[in-house]
Amino acid sequence: MHTSNSLLRALKAMAIMVIMACMTALPQPVRAQGVNLQQLVRQVEEQYNGDSSHITATMHIVTRQWERSITLEGWSLGRELCLTRILEPAKEKGVSTLKADKQVWNYLPKVDRVIKIPPSMMGAPWMGSHITNEDLVKSSHVDLDYALTLEEETADFWRIACTPKTDAAVVWGRIVYTILKDHTIPRDIAYYDDAMVKVRTIRFEDVQHVGDHVLPLRMIVQPSEMPDEQTILQYRTITFDLPLEESFFSLRTLKGK
Amino acid sequence: MLLQLAYRNILRNKRRSLLTVSAMVFSSSMLLLALGVSAGKMGDMLASATEQYHGHLVLSRTGYQPQRDMYAHFAPEDGMIRRILEHPGVRGVSPRLRAFGLLSQDTSTIPVEALGIRPEAEATVTTLQQCIVRGAGFDSSGNGCLLGTGMARKLNVAPGDAIAFVTRGADGSIGNDLLTVKGIFETGNTRNDNQLVLTELPWLQQVTALDSQIHELAIAVRAPMQAAGLARQMRDDFGNDYTLQDWSVFLPEIRDAIIISHVSNSIIMAIFYMATALCIFNTFYMSVMERTREFGVLLALGMRPGQLRAMVLCETLLLGGTAVLAGMALGFCMNWYMQDIGVDLSGHVSPISYGGGTILPRVRAVIEPVRQTGAALMLLLVCPVAGFVPANMAARCVPIKALRGE
Repeated sequence: MHTSNSLLRALKAMAIMVIMACMTALPQPVRAQGVNLQQLVRQVEEQYNGDSSHITATMHIVTRQWERSITLEGWSLGRELCLTRILEPAKEKGVSTLKADKQVWNYLPKVDRVIKIPPSMMGAPWMGSHITNEDLVKSSHVDLDYALTLEEETADFWRIACTPKTDAAVVWGRIVYTILKDHTIPRDIAYYDDAMVKVRTIRFEDVQHVGDHVLPLRMIVQPSEMPDEQTILQYRTITFDLPLEESFFSLRTLKGK
Repeated sequence: MLLQLAYRNILRNKRRSLLTVSAMVFSSSMLLLALGVSAGKMGDMLASATEQYHGHLVLSRTGYQPQRDMYAHFAPEDGMIRRILEHPGVRGVSPRLRAFGLLSQDTSTIPVEALGIRPEAEATVTTLQQCIVRGAGFDSSGNGCLLGTGMARKLNVAPGDAIAFVTRGADGSIGNDLLTVKGIFETGNTRNDNQLVLTELPWLQQVTALDSQIHELAIAVRAPMQAAGLARQMRDDFGNDYTLQDWSVFLPEIRDAIIISHVSNSIIMAIFYMATALCIFNTFYMSVMERTREFGVLLALGMRPGQLRAMVLCETLLLGGTAVLAGMALGFCMNWYMQDIGVDLSGHVSPISYGGGTILPRVRAVIEPVRQTGAALMLLLVCPVAGFVPANMAARCVPIKALRGE
């Protein structure tokens, strides 16, 4: 009798362990106090994309040595496909960037060549700005590559800390999103390196209604080590849910043909 | 008289003297060969780094090195290059502009370092243009380039092909243009062969929006090992806006390798000196033991112990001097052969890149007359030191006991 009771207890314990293991193995949305963190971060990263989108914007870059503005237009489909083309200045008109399959290609009309950015250059600035090629590829996958925790919640915002998952090949050691509860739009995003030193901050301003969306139309990238430098991306027009096909995001379109 | 006696004594036992001299000749000639080969190896390594890329001295704006900040550029003042060239220790000066970017052909894109040069000036500083294995050198087209074999293989290009270069302009623009491959060089240095592309200076100045600007003046000197001293002499000519560095600053691994080589040479020299000293000690110890009666007679005839000691020391010096002279002659002959002909190992060993330089697959010697003669003449000091104990034994003989042969 004693033996059968012990066996029963052991079987019960095993059953509970198996159920718990199964529960933890299932993909679960990261929730904290009723907030779906993964969805919040994803929403921020995809705010300018929608299902598909077309934008025109001005990128103003200030460095210690020079200051310049670029006018560009871009198309996106989901989070994986993106095409950007420079409209001004005339010297660089037609220079285009295609992001597809986590890779980046540039088209240079002056020499009529398409250049695939090698992995070693993914950290290089995109169009001379404080945004890197890596940002184009990886930023839209933060909700997948990082473990998310709710660091702070006030009446106005959530502060979500992202730390890289062990198997993720990512650049940043930590990313902290501050997301305003009103319309669920980002206030700022802070990026830290592996030594937990803040490298840059992206601030969002000029919140406006665009169709059904409420968006910050100005994005300011501020490198921490160079307070006198910044990149300001000002969206001029955004159109969502265009009838774009995957075939649009091809090397042929990149070349403008 | 002492010298005459010493000379006569050496000739009295010709076989023993010949054996001792032979050992010392072998020792000193091998010492010279070892030092020559070591100098040759270090010279090759230094030349591969300085004469294939850096130059011996580099003059740049303060702040350019080591990050190579593209904005730390300058336009050489009037007469700056001429003033440097007028310095007696300087062999050549080359103005250069450097840009980092991408080189692309079809589906291949690789990160490269582009070095904008004036071909004729660069030829006075580096030997890169002499390492072309396919194609020719620069021509008058203006957009020609030379690249390494590794890079040519990765991009699958041959002389005559057009390749795209893209970089960041100094004004923030995207600098890009087509280059025509004029030649492919092979230096044996992995870095140069895989990452370096030489272009014409005006072309790179235009692509990077740095008209008339350069990043550095690479300088070749006549005595590379004395480059640091020359840099100290020349530094005052340029003021604080500029930094003049010698190769030991931007090639610290090679500087350390040369220091280590000097230390190992010292150890080798110590071993040779010790072996020679033992050889001399043994010879003269045996000689003194055998000549006890002779020393007794000399002392009985009135020779003072000090004179006896001096006589034995003269014998060691005469023997050593003869051996060192013969050893130097043989050693310099061997070094001369190894300097002119050497041993080619390229069929068995590949070049090894180290610290920005290349260890070439060959054994070659370099004759450094002062250093090598000094090392050989040091053996002359070893002779009396090693012979002192036997000489002292001879001087301490008691005449009556010595005459009895005790």
